[in-house]
Amino acid sequence: MRIVVIVRQTPDTEAKIKVAPSGDTIDTEGIKWIVNPYDEFAIEEAIRIKEKLGKGEVVLITMGPARCIEALRTGLAMGADNAIHIKDESFAFTDPYALAKVIAQEIKNLGEFNLVLTGKKMIDEETGQVGIHVAEELGIPHVAIVTKVELSSDLTKVTCQKEIEGGQMVVEVPLPALITCERGLNEPRYASLPGIMKAKKKPVKEVTIDNINLEALGLTKEALGPAGARFRVTKLEVPQIQRRLKILKGKQQDMVKGEEVAEAVRELVRLLREEAKVI
Amino acid sequence: MSNEIWVVADLTIGGDVRKVTFEALSEARRKLVGKLGGQLCGVLIGSGVSALASELGKYGAEKVYVVENELLKDYTPEAYTVALSELIKKHNPYIVLAGNTSVSQDFLPRVAARAEAGLAVDCIDLDLTDDKRLVVKRYKYSAKSIAAVEFLDYKPMMATIRPNVFKPEEDVKNPEVVSESVEIKPEGIWTKILEVRRKESPRPELTEADRIVSGGRGLGSGENFKLIFELADAIGAAAGASRAAVDSGFVPYEMQVGQTGKVVSPTLYIAIGISGSIQHFAGMGSSKVIVAINKDPDAPIFQKCDYGIVGDLFEIVPVLTEEFKKLLAQQ
Ligand SMILES: Cc1cc2nc3c(=O)[nH]c(=O)nc-3n(C[C@H](O)[C@H](O)[C@H](O)COP(=O)(O)OP(=O)(O)OC[C@H]3O[C@@H](n4cnc5c(N)ncnc54)[C@H](O)[C@@H]3O)c2cc1C
Ligand SMILES: Nc1ncnc2c1ncn2[C@@H]1O[C@H](COP(=O)(O)O)[C@@H](O)[C@H]1O
Repeated sequence: MRIVVIVRQTPDTEAKIKVAPSGDTIDTEGIKWIVNPYDEFAIEEAIRIKEKLGKGEVVLITMGPARCIEALRTGLAMGADNAIHIKDESFAFTDPYALAKVIAQEIKNLGEFNLVLTGKKMIDEETGQVGIHVAEELGIPHVAIVTKVELSSDLTKVTCQKEIEGGQMVVEVPLPALITCERGLNEPRYASLPGIMKAKKKPVKEVTIDNINLEALGLTKEALGPAGARFRVTKLEVPQIQRRLKILKGKQQDMVKGEEVAEAVRELVRLLREEAKVI
Repeated sequence: MSNEIWVVADLTIGGDVRKVTFEALSEARRKLVGKLGGQLCGVLIGSGVSALASELGKYGAEKVYVVENELLKDYTPEAYTVALSELIKKHNPYIVLAGNTSVSQDFLPRVAARAEAGLAVDCIDLDLTDDKRLVVKRYKYSAKSIAAVEFLDYKPMMATIRPNVFKPEEDVKNPEVVSESVEIKPEGIWTKILEVRRKESPRPELTEADRIVSGGRGLGSGENFKLIFELADAIGAAAGASRAAVDSGFVPYEMQVGQTGKVVSPTLYIAIGISGSIQHFAGMGSSKVIVAINKDPDAPIFQKCDYGIVGDLFEIVPVLTEEFKKLLAQQ
């Protein structure tokens, strides 16, 4: 059983976003990088499947600049076996279309694989398509936004519970298949100290831009870089929604108490009705 | 390349057209059709769905393509991908739009891959450049920034829109209905649907709701969430929660709003016993009016809301529910 996990490095969820002087991207100065939270669910699930079976191999794959090795090391420390880093500084902003093609090609190059796991979306670019596009390139089924995974005992099928509006769906697809992971699937483990030590020795294969058969993918070198192929970001803004900040407090500049409760509530309802006009 | 702008209809489990479809039709008509000199078309995929064409006509569709097939009765990504891909190949639309729903998120990436088209998801603004390329705005970095994104080619240009952002507006047309048959091979359908569980809730769905009442860790227990439900019901709102409330086991994950939960943008968002973390705001920061009820005057949420009451939610919420009930009863 070989499980491939597609991972991405993203800015920390707490990171303050500043627009770079170029106006079309973020200033990465001082940003702390983490494993995309949805991809952590994917790594955790892969390791759990391997542990449950008592055998198998978990392979991580990422495409991005040198800093992304940290994301791979985190996954290896959690328990993945080895990793592939498709590496170039220009890959920090690759178009989702090109990303999916290149990642799919590397997965094909592995030869055999049974399951591909990835996150529901990346929390930075939020393109919402790379995983499913990879499945299309691989010619395998996918199940998206999954909160439960169960392999059949003969390892030929997988049953998944997925979230839909107003409910859930349980579906079954044959393996190999690709699954995009949603929160609720599992609680990712923290890497243990021995895990972190071991991770340093685990193999990470580097693939450079010259190793990619771009022609076969119908891509150009430029298509992999910030210029992008299908879109161009013309402007990035940090939204400044002006909030009214009308806070009703008690006499002591603190909690409303006793009589003040009913007064504050009436005032709130009045504001919602007369000022905001939403009730 | 035709001059058609397509809106792919999204249906509920019960088979009704989702509101977001009407929102997409309306915004396409307002912002794109005139500039392009194009024709607004609806696309219906399913089995026994042709009667819904007039619904799309109500919101301005002049033509509706209907792909009906027994194998499209239940949604599977494979069959829907074939249906829409074949239709695109045959008619070459200029722009393809849909709502950003779980179904679109599931099969449009495959369709885009086949058409070699760019796909921008969850857009909050649609426009055309002077040379008639689609420009959209969409959130990036967990709603902390908004990017203007310009399409560079036309194969077609594909985008999904965030529900509840654009105003649905009727413009009644009597659409020409074009029935299309697409060959779908049963053996190409990999997905077997074992079960569809409908959440039996009297409340609107979070992602579509115009009003939302959410509770956080401050509620203290699952039992206490009845305060949230009662307030929500009084104003016809959906009920949501912070991750801390979900992680504490008060309510199920499907209620979580935030970076790793649902992304919502209602007109009114009432946050109760929620501190206002960056990750929570990533899911609801674009709400039109935000109200906070929290006992801590220094809670971060008071720095980024419209209205707030500093106080004990257990005292305030029941009174607020009654006050809303009284007000709405008068109408
Ligand atoms: C990768 C990652 C992803 C995350 N994703 C999400 C997400 O999607 N959604 C999300 O919400 N969070 C998310 N979080 C968690 C987030 O950081 C916060 O921990 C969480 O939002 C806190 O929830 P809370 O406001 O309910 O709880 P708390 O921060 O504990 O706040 C509880 C509030 O209730 C108030 N309170 C207590 N009792 C009362 C009372 N009687 N009356 C009035 N007020 C009272 C307190 O003053 C306090 O402000 C994520 C975190 C990480 C690291
Ligand atoms: N550069 C990348 N390298 C590896 N995986 C990626 C990369 N970009 C996106 N992904 C994966 O694609 C998933 C889905 O991204 P999205 O396109 O937002 O749906 C993410 O969870 C990542 O695991």
